[in-house]
Amino acid sequence: MPQDRYTSFVKSGFGKKLAKKLGLPQPVQLRRHTPGAPPVTGPVLVLSAGAGNAAGTGGTGSAASDADAVAGLLLNGLGSDETIDVRRSPHTAEGTRWGAVIVVTTQAEHPRDLSDAMLALGGTLRALASSGRVVFVSRDAADASSPAQAAVRQGVVSAMRSVAKELRNGATANALVLRDDATVTGTPALAALRFLLSAKSAFVDGQPVTISSDTGHVPQDWEKPLAGKVAVVTGAAQGIGASIAATLARDGARVVAVDVPAAGESLSKVANKISGTALQLDITSPDAGKRIIDHAVERHGGIDIVIHNAGITRDKLLANMDNARWDSVIDVNISAQLAMNEQFLASDRFRDAPRIVSLASTSGIAGNRGQTNYGASKGGVIGMVAASARALAEHGGTINAVAPGFIETAMTTKIPLATREVARRLNALQQGGQPVDVAETIAFLASPATGGINGEVVRVCGQNMVGA
Amino acid sequence: MTLPPIDRPGTVRELDRVPSLMALYAKALTPDPADVARLGARILPDALRPKQRTATIDDRHRSLPDVALKVRGVTANPQGLREYQNLLGFPRTEDLPAGYVHVLAFPVAMAVMAAPDFPLPLAGMVHLENRVDVDRTLTVGETFTVTAWASNLSGHLKGTRVDLIVEVSDPEGVVWRGVSTYLAKGTYTHGRGNDTGAAREFTPPLPTGSWSLGAGIGREYAAVSGDRNPIHLSALTAKAFGFPRAIAHGMYTAARALADARPLHGERYSWTVEFAKPVLLPEKVAVAITPHNAGGASYVGWNSKTGKLHFSGEISPL
Amino acid sequence: MPDTTTSAPNLQDAVIVGGNRIPFARAGSRYLGASNQDMFTAALDGLVARYGLQGEQLGEVVAGAVLKHSRDFNLVRESVLGSALSPTTPAFDLQQACATGLEAFITVANKIRLGQIDSAIAGGVDTVSDAPIAISDRLRSALLQASYAKTLGQRAKALATVRPKDLAPANPRTDEPRTGLSMGEHQAITTAKWEISREDQDLIAYNSHHNLARAYNNGFFDDLVTPFRGLSRDQNLREDTSLEKLASLSPAFGKSLSTPATMTAGNSTALTDGASTVLVANREWAKKRNLTPLARFVDAQTAAVDYVHGREGLLMAPVHAVPRLLERNGLTLQDFDFYEIHEAFAATVLTTLAAWEDDEYCRTELNLPQALGAIDRERLNVTGSSLAAGHPFAATGARILAGVAKLLHERAASTGKPARALVSVCAAGGLGAVAIVESA
Repeated sequence: MPQDRYTSFVKSGFGKKLAKKLGLPQPVQLRRHTPGAPPVTGPVLVLSAGAGNAAGTGGTGSAASDADAVAGLLLNGLGSDETIDVRRSPHTAEGTRWGAVIVVTTQAEHPRDLSDAMLALGGTLRALASSGRVVFVSRDAADASSPAQAAVRQGVVSAMRSVAKELRNGATANALVLRDDATVTGTPALAALRFLLSAKSAFVDGQPVTISSDTGHVPQDWEKPLAGKVAVVTGAAQGIGASIAATLARDGARVVAVDVPAAGESLSKVANKISGTALQLDITSPDAGKRIIDHAVERHGGIDIVIHNAGITRDKLLANMDNARWDSVIDVNISAQLAMNEQFLASDRFRDAPRIVSLASTSGIAGNRGQTNYGASKGGVIGMVAASARALAEHGGTINAVAPGFIETAMTTKIPLATREVARRLNALQQGGQPVDVAETIAFLASPATGGINGEVVRVCGQNMVGA
Repeated sequence: MTLPPIDRPGTVRELDRVPSLMALYAKALTPDPADVARLGARILPDALRPKQRTATIDDRHRSLPDVALKVRGVTANPQGLREYQNLLGFPRTEDLPAGYVHVLAFPVAMAVMAAPDFPLPLAGMVHLENRVDVDRTLTVGETFTVTAWASNLSGHLKGTRVDLIVEVSDPEGVVWRGVSTYLAKGTYTHGRGNDTGAAREFTPPLPTGSWSLGAGIGREYAAVSGDRNPIHLSALTAKAFGFPRAIAHGMYTAARALADARPLHGERYSWTVEFAKPVLLPEKVAVAITPHNAGGASYVGWNSKTGKLHFSGEISPL
Repeated sequence: MPDTTTSAPNLQDAVIVGGNRIPFARAGSRYLGASNQDMFTAALDGLVARYGLQGEQLGEVVAGAVLKHSRDFNLVRESVLGSALSPTTPAFDLQQACATGLEAFITVANKIRLGQIDSAIAGGVDTVSDAPIAISDRLRSALLQASYAKTLGQRAKALATVRPKDLAPANPRTDEPRTGLSMGEHQAITTAKWEISREDQDLIAYNSHHNLARAYNNGFFDDLVTPFRGLSRDQNLREDTSLEKLASLSPAFGKSLSTPATMTAGNSTALTDGASTVLVANREWAKKRNLTPLARFVDAQTAAVDYVHGREGLLMAPVHAVPRLLERNGLTLQDFDFYEIHEAFAATVLTTLAAWEDDEYCRTELNLPQALGAIDRERLNVTGSSLAAGHPFAATGARILAGVAKLLHERAASTGKPARALVSVCAAGGLGAVAIVESA
């Protein structure tokens, strides 16, 4: 894993003092998932904001019911037999470190409704554990029935972003945004809560995650949510792709690791490490999708999950751009995905709640100097995902995109030092993410529980300032 | 079965052991007192010249002594055999290759040639051809008798030819017989013979093998054969005898051909070789072995660069 | 004691289900520093990855290397232990010069047919870039004697026999031990005997490069080759070679013969490093693992010729093996969709074909009533062969088998009819191995 020397330095005795004196960023080692680890590290406080609701007191009536339901989910171990310490009151013994604070605002009708809960949240922030979590559970402004309702819903997301930027010690803030057809007790909401509370979302920060329906089912074993599934990962030979393959395999999937023939040596190592199969294939060849299906079906009896991770960069200022650079990036990063998706969707083997997760990029959202071609291709991914959601939904499936920010890979170590340092620190967590952070988010979106998350883009960027 | 007998000299003189080749060479290469005398005669004043001996040189040169030398109880040394087998490429078995029997018996023939009454000078003697008849393969534990004599003194364009015959016998009779034909260059006792001297036409065939003979192969064969003739040992010693570089032993090349063709002959066979141009070391010798339909093979060796013939021979069932 | 004796089981089909090799590198180049074990382990791991065999206990892994270090006495087993296969997979080394790979395949296929094993990997590896360099025989002998010596004096005496020149390393021999001729010189003699022209040889080389390049460009090798050390195609491949370029090369072999020298570096196989594997199993094993049988092993034959005494060319043994194989299987030389004739030299292929086309030769040397006849050259080495790919001696057999199995499968799939191939590999020592495989 590429080393972040700065983080190591400022964690050393001398470096720490120096960084503090100079007011330099002091990134912390983020908590990351280890198999069997509980979703949260300390007591979880559930706050609710709603019309006439007193903060944290539970209250009565409908305003409290979503928060109660969320507390109920937690008390039930979020669908597993884990024990979670759930509190409804912020008043607690001195020295308690909150593992997470969940603010349920689904029933807020007016921006005024937020104050109690927000202030109560504020009171807990200093007592939030390292790599603690703040999760807002809200509803989508687009579905609001009144301007005031829309205002409070939109306000929650913005407040969440500001909270995320205020948090320290690796803590993150994110929001579940429920559409009309989704409930707080739906399986996707449950899965999203588990994900956002857990260390798997270490580098997901300041993000709203929209859930449009309750489609999805609870896996038999949260440790192996992908058991029995066959997953294809393109560009799996190294970096993020290799991490995705390993993470999906950890979650129980049988993985077909795909990469160009020239990358075969490391591809075979990846496949052997996870007991998957290696498929050397140029995804831009016209029959790539068909060959992937054939391989997956023949060797593993089916195809359930496709992760479009393969991508290239051929950076050049547009003023200096040539055909080869432009076309190859478009071909590999988006055209190939469009062509393959057509073949997947046409196949009767890709019918049982299929999942497609495609790699976008923060550059695809915000743009980046010298990456016009790359930006176009990654923006294209976002467009493709949104437009394909309906087709996937017909088979109970989903298609989503994950947009990584600065991730520590062999590729990013090639960025000049100064640029790299800036890119690394330019986010709320003041550090680069790890490939596994992207992989965990993809595994979350690929799971059978998240059928209600479709056509979305989830950023894994540590709340990067770029394109926010 | 043994080999059919041939005429032997009337007298047999028995030696108590196989003589040392080194001593024989030393003797051969020490100038003959008569030659010293002749040389001296040219440079010394008359008064100091020794008296002319009674027997004339011419008398001595006209006939071969009617005597054979015989050594009983000859046996092979296993270590020496193994070194010979290694160098020539024979399998490392108890069997004595026919060429190794030649090595064991050769000093007896040398002793014949080194005898005072032998009519030709030993120094500068050239091996022209060789024939070996093998009745059965001797093995390393056996003791046998070696008998050697000279025969067939005859004229040659370049000097005088003589055959050295060596027989190896067991109690049953002769089991191995070698006839080595030598040429005493420049010594004419029997005229110039009938040979016109025309070089044999030779067009190299397609080779079946190639021998890379290093500069040291003469020394290596000298070590296993005991034949330390200076013309084989180094360029320097060879130059002293008129060769530009050391030359390979003829019996080395013939025995290697025999080793290469070994599977083609049976228990009883003859093995002949005729030497043409000497192999100047180091050299890459091209070799062609042509099997005969009736068993045996003919072989030929030539310079792979110039195409000049070095040797040719036959291996035929008897 | 039993009342009855056991009876032999029925024969099963041995089918090729796939293969993997690493690209072949030119000697002393990309794989410098890679050992036989490194390369064969990589080839095994690529195969395991392609077919998901991680942790599998296979029936056997049989392979070999022609140039081998003494430390590699258990090369194949050591490679298995270093691979992703189960460490309980048995293995052994086998060696038949350039026919090692094919012989390894024949060995495991026969075991599978007999039901002794259900699955196996056959293969081979060779490197001339990591070839063993031995000490001289005299030094070795002295060291051995010294090591067995009981006293200091004996030891000193043994070591005293060592001369400075004995300390020079002895290079591995590449010429035939019994003739002192290199393989190229041997083939040059056979080439001269059969009067094979330079142009015909260059055409074979040209086709080899172009066929191999086309196959690569069509993705044929996507599931046959796994890159190694940054090399993803055979280094020897010259996609842009032309007959003019080949014609411009000067002869490399046969220069001392009285006939014109026709064999060049272009129409002779270069020294190369590489490793290859082929996965063989019975149908049940393949089915259980969702693997598609590509080709079925039909039969094989080995032969040897007396090249030492000039009776036959060194590399002509397959010429003798094939008629025996054809007769046993009731086939003619023309009954094949593909011919894979290992290109030790372009001239080897051409002398082989010429011999089969020669009435007189077939009658007198092969004891046949008439010539075996000509083959359709369009079916010969259609995805290239050793001239273009290179020839790491022991690795060639599995390269050919995995490729031809795929060809047969594709042909059968596209025509709906069975397809058949003849595989022929000549080897040093006057050896040759040939085999028939059919679409499964």
